Amino acid sequence: MTGKSMTGAGDNNTPYETEDAFLDRSALARQVVKDTINKVLLGAVLILVLALPAVISSPTWLHIIVLIFFYAYLTTSWNMVGGFAGVLPLGHAVFLGIGAYTSTVLSLQYGISPWFGMFVGGILAVVAGMVIGLPTLKMRGAYFALATIAFAEGVRVMVENIEYLGPFKLNGPRGLQIPPLNIGWADFMFSSKVPYYYIILGLLLIILFLTWTVSRSKLGYYLTAGGEEPEAAQALGVNVSRAKVIAMALSCFFTALAGTFYAQFSLFIHPKSTISLDISFEIAFIALIGGRGSIAGPILGALLLRPVSDLSRIYFGDILPGMHLVIYGVVLILVMIYQPRGLQEPLTRIYDRVVNRMADGFIKGGDK
Amino acid sequence: MIYLIEDTINGILMGSIYGLTALGLTIIFGVLKVINFAHGTLLMVGMYAAYWSVTLSGLHPYLALVIVVPVMYVFGYYLQDIVIKPIFKAEKDVREPSTVIIVTTGVWYVLDNLTLMIFGPQYRSLPDNPLQGKMIELGEMFVSVPKLWGAITAVVTALAVYYFFQKTRTGRAIRACSLDRDAASLSGINQYKIYNMAFGLGTAVAGVAAVTLVPFYNTFPTVGVLFDIKGFIIVVLGGLGSIPGAIIGGIIVGIIESVGPQFMTATWTEAIVYGLFLLVLFVKPSGLFGVKYDW
Repeated sequence: MTGKSMTGAGDNNTPYETEDAFLDRSALARQVVKDTINKVLLGAVLILVLALPAVISSPTWLHIIVLIFFYAYLTTSWNMVGGFAGVLPLGHAVFLGIGAYTSTVLSLQYGISPWFGMFVGGILAVVAGMVIGLPTLKMRGAYFALATIAFAEGVRVMVENIEYLGPFKLNGPRGLQIPPLNIGWADFMFSSKVPYYYIILGLLLIILFLTWTVSRSKLGYYLTAGGEEPEAAQALGVNVSRAKVIAMALSCFFTALAGTFYAQFSLFIHPKSTISLDISFEIAFIALIGGRGSIAGPILGALLLRPVSDLSRIYFGDILPGMHLVIYGVVLILVMIYQPRGLQEPLTRIYDRVVNRMADGFIKGGDK
Repeated sequence: MIYLIEDTINGILMGSIYGLTALGLTIIFGVLKVINFAHGTLLMVGMYAAYWSVTLSGLHPYLALVIVVPVMYVFGYYLQDIVIKPIFKAEKDVREPSTVIIVTTGVWYVLDNLTLMIFGPQYRSLPDNPLQGKMIELGEMFVSVPKLWGAITAVVTALAVYYFFQKTRTGRAIRACSLDRDAASLSGINQYKIYNMAFGLGTAVAGVAAVTLVPFYNTFPTVGVLFDIKGFIIVVLGGLGSIPGAIIGGIIVGIIESVGPQFMTATWTEAIVYGLFLLVLFVKPSGLFGVKYDW
């Protein structure tokens, strides 16, 4: 996946290179070779991730990888509004919570399959997203960030205090347990972690494809323009607020789908685990470390930050409690100081250089 | 009725202390245009500094101000200088660099957990200090003495900071920087030094708040988180960047928290505070005392 998105960015940034390429036939050949290399690498990555569960048998490692994909998915959804639209939402866990609670309540009380509840939750999350987004999306960064935090925290406090919301049992701070009775695809419940792996992988591929489509659509250009220079964009007749609202709706919907996944994966949800500020923050961190507003950014961020927190918790957790968060914090600070635009930028450069060298090698080899 | 008045008085006192904890946040935002997510953590550092200086020296808790305030100023000054300044330099033309939020959160994680590793997770309270558990009787009402002293300190600190900003040369330079960075730089103000000073000042004020909290509040590694979100709410209620706004926003939150439980379950008051915050944000985003152009 990373390969595909990186090439996407490269193509966009260098329109002149392609123009020159038409003038220079050797450069054209080189471009073709480069495209092929990109496609081959992308295919290789895809085959690798598809075959991964066959190679990895340890459930712990599979669990860690599922969580990496889960966070990559969440961050890619966040990226639609947080990255492209240039605002900083810090309460996205509330939409995760809405998704988790909706599908769980529907399946526990009415026996409705979580696959259907997933979409109901998505729609409810869009409604909630509009409640907070419509009045605040036009505000400056700091206010929007604080408003989203307050909204998420307010909803969490309410859910913690509500036993029954009308006919729906939320069970307050104790949360809801999902009894693993009906195992199978129809009920989105499995005894092994492998099906979860493929579900989250599928979701991730869908959201990546969607982000890729949006980033090259009119909406994507409006969002980038509005995020970087709102006044200039408006002067050119771009309806910046409308673009932001659409991005927010998309982002909320897809975040809520991940909520259902989380509920079915952990089979236990409570307000502090779903609508948690920690998750909201972690999503934003992953996006900013990886590279906000780029397609590869969330994946790179999740690949880097999740293992940092998981592995340092495993290795330092017993000896030095808190060490894993110190490491995490230091990584955040260092990356932000030395790469304020995220790790995506230098890594794309290195990747391009490698592909160029490979293309050179192929062309020279072909001449001989 | 008498309980209502008693709760209101205690709410105002505790609220003023909340306001004091948020005052540093509003100072830093006013100048740097950045939300300092590490503010609660700085308060925690101040509380440990106050706790240890009182415990080791055996002085009156408020005398810790002499040690804590300078220490915190220097700490804040160099924290900004070493950790946050590079980002400002990297993102010169961005008005509100959101990367700073991430960096200050990183500082929060590092300091909170270093404290946990060094001092352990215990809750510490000052043993037999002269203010502990003291009450004044007003007719049938009881007013907590440490909170009363805290509230007085809050008002005095806010007035002092206000005076400093309005009347001193440095204060004016800081205000100039907060209005227009480039124009201030052109007039010969070293903007990065001003940022360091403003951050140091905000941290020192957090130190004052810490000293007032230590006599009646437990000190533990994650104590800052409790005041972090509350601080954000208070400063937006009062208006980001406004000094009287911070104290009055604090008092509003304090009254809701202390009078609310008379009418509902205590945990619901928290939801009321968030609701009020969002309401103010929707209706008047600049807050009660905020400057209009800032949002």
